[in-house]
Amino acid sequence: MKTTTRYIFSIASICLFISFISLSSVLVLISSDTVHAAVGCDLNDPDKDVARLFPDSTGYKTVYMSIDKQGGEPLLEEIQKRLGDQFKGLYETADVPYTVYEIYKGKEKTGYIHGVNQKGQYGGIQVFLALDMEGNIRNFYFQKMTSRAAKTLRESLFGSQFVGLNLADFYNYDIKTGKTLSPGKVDNIKNPSPEAESDFRAALRATKKNLVLMDEFVFGNRFLK
Amino acid sequence: MISLYKVSYKNILRKKTRSALTIVGIALSAWVLASLMGFNKGYEAALNKDIDNMGFQVMLMAKGCPYEAATLMLKGGTGLRYLKESVVASILSEPEVERITPMLMQAVFDPNKGESGGISAYLGVDPATFPNMKTFLEFKQGKWFTDPQSFEVVMGYESAELEQREVGDKLLIPEKNVELTVVGVLKRTGTQDDGTIFLPINTVQKIFGKEGEITSVGIKVKKEADISKFEERLYTIPDVQVVSLAQVKQTIMNLMSTAKVMVFSIAVVAILIAMVGVINTILMSVFERFQEIGILKSMGAMPGDIFKLIWIETLILCFLGGVAGSTMAYGLSKVTEILVRKLLPYAPTGSLIQLDVKLICITLISVLIIGLISGLYPAWRAASVRPLESIRSDIN
Repeated sequence: MKTTTRYIFSIASICLFISFISLSSVLVLISSDTVHAAVGCDLNDPDKDVARLFPDSTGYKTVYMSIDKQGGEPLLEEIQKRLGDQFKGLYETADVPYTVYEIYKGKEKTGYIHGVNQKGQYGGIQVFLALDMEGNIRNFYFQKMTSRAAKTLRESLFGSQFVGLNLADFYNYDIKTGKTLSPGKVDNIKNPSPEAESDFRAALRATKKNLVLMDEFVFGNRFLK
Repeated sequence: MISLYKVSYKNILRKKTRSALTIVGIALSAWVLASLMGFNKGYEAALNKDIDNMGFQVMLMAKGCPYEAATLMLKGGTGLRYLKESVVASILSEPEVERITPMLMQAVFDPNKGESGGISAYLGVDPATFPNMKTFLEFKQGKWFTDPQSFEVVMGYESAELEQREVGDKLLIPEKNVELTVVGVLKRTGTQDDGTIFLPINTVQKIFGKEGEITSVGIKVKKEADISKFEERLYTIPDVQVVSLAQVKQTIMNLMSTAKVMVFSIAVVAILIAMVGVINTILMSVFERFQEIGILKSMGAMPGDIFKLIWIETLILCFLGGVAGSTMAYGLSKVTEILVRKLLPYAPTGSLIQLDVKLICITLISVLIIGLISGLYPAWRAASVRPLESIRSDIN
C-alpha cells in the first residue's frame, strides 16, 4: 500500500512536471522576437524581385547576418578600413541586420542578392546588388530613392554600368574624394544627372559597402588585399 | 520541553535534498502565481497609461474615414476625407474638453519606392497644442518646430532610421518637390508615432493646398467628464465619425483574455505540481517514520499531536517555498516581463508586471492555504497509525 501510494504520487508529479514544461515550451515557441533592432534592408517583394534580378532562378533562401554576430567590433573596424570610410550616424551601426538572399537554380546555388541602406541627400537609399558566385555584379537595383534625379538614376541604363564589376574594381574608388586612385573600370560609371552628384556618390559608396560586406559575410574575404 | 515546531523543523532537515527540491517546486509555483497576479494588475495599468500617453481619449474624423492609416493603406492619399478647421472652435467650447488638437494627414505617391511605387505619409500637427498632449514624446536629437509656418519636420524614430535622417538633414516630398529640414528625431516610443513624419499643420495645408481643412481632431476629456454623454453630443455634429479610445481599450482587453487563459493554465498546472510534490514528500516522510510515529503514540502522543506535527512540517515547507517564490517573482519581474512581452500580440509600454506588498502577501497566504490542503492527507495517514502495528512492521 505504502509503495503503491508513493508510486502514484511520483508518477503524478512527473506527469504534471512534463505538462508544465510542455505548456511553457509551446508558449515560448509561438512567441515572436519583439526586441527592437536596427532597420535592415529587405526586398519589398522577394518572390518577384528575385525572379526579375535572377531570371533563371528557381528558388531562394534567406540568411540573416550582422556585424555584431559575425565578428563584432574588430570586424566593424576591418570593414571600415576596407571601405575607406567610417560607418556614420545613428543608423549605420554594427547591429544592423543584413539579409542575404541565396539564389538557386534547381539545387545549384547560382548567386546572391544583398541590399544596404545608404544615406542620400533627401532620404534613405536602398541599393541591391545581384552577384554571381564569383562576386561579380550581375544586376544593380535602387529599391528606394528619394532624389530629384531619382527617375534618371533608377533607369536601367545607369544600373547597367555596374554589371561585371566586383570589389577588386571598387577598391580603386576612394569614397572620401569620390575619385579613383588609378584609372579603372569604376571611372566608366557616369553620373547621368550632375545636379544629383551627392546621390550619385552615395550610390557608389553603397555599392562598395555592399561588396565589402558580402566579401566578409559570404565570399570568405576573396578580395581582401 | 521541545516544541512541535522544533520537531517538525528537525524532521525536514533529515532529508535535506528532498526538502530542498520540494521547496524549489513550491517556489516555482509561487513565482508563477505572483507574476500572474502582478501581470493582471500591471497590464491594465500600462494600457491605461498608454492611452493617456496618446494624449487624447476621443478622436473625431470625417464620416467614412474611420482610420486615417487604414484609408491610406487601402486608397492612398486620395481616400482621405476632410473636416472644416472651424469644427475645432465649436468642440473647444464643450465643457468636457480639457485640450484639443487638430491634425491633417496627407500622402503622396512616391514612384521611387520599390518597383511599383509606394505611399509616403505626412502628419500635420499644431505646434501649440500637439506637444502638450503628447508630453511623453522625447527627443533623441533636436526639438519641435521653430515656427508654425516653417518648412521643418520632426521624425519618429523608425521613419528617421528608414530615411537615414538626422537633425539638419533635408527631406524631399516627392510629388510636391518641396524641401524640408529635419529639426528633431524622436526617441522610440513603441507606438505609431515611431513611423510618423510630423510637420506643422499650416505647412501641410500650404503644401497640399488644404487651407482650412483637417483630417482629424484629438480630444482630451476632463477626468470628471462623462465621456459617453460627450460622445453622443459629438455625433450631432454633421458628417463626423467619433472614435473612442475606450472602445479600442476594450478590444485590446478582449484580445488579452486569450493570452491570460494560457498563462493562467500554466499557473494552475504549476500549483498542481507543487501540491502533488508536497503530498509526495510529506507522505514519504510519514512512511519512513512509520515505527517512530508508532513509538510516539505508544509513549502517549495523541492522534491530534501527530496530525499537528505533520501539518506543521507541510506549513514550514510551503512558507519557505512561498518566501523564495515571492522573492524570485519580485527580483526576476523584469525577466518575466521580457518573456511575457514576447508572448503578447500587443503589449503596452511601461511596466507589465506590477508587484507590491499586497500581492506578495496574497501569494504567501495562497501558498500556505495550498500547503494546508496538501498536508491534510499525509497528516491524517500519520495520525491514524496504530502503534502496535507500526512497531510490529519493523520486526517483520
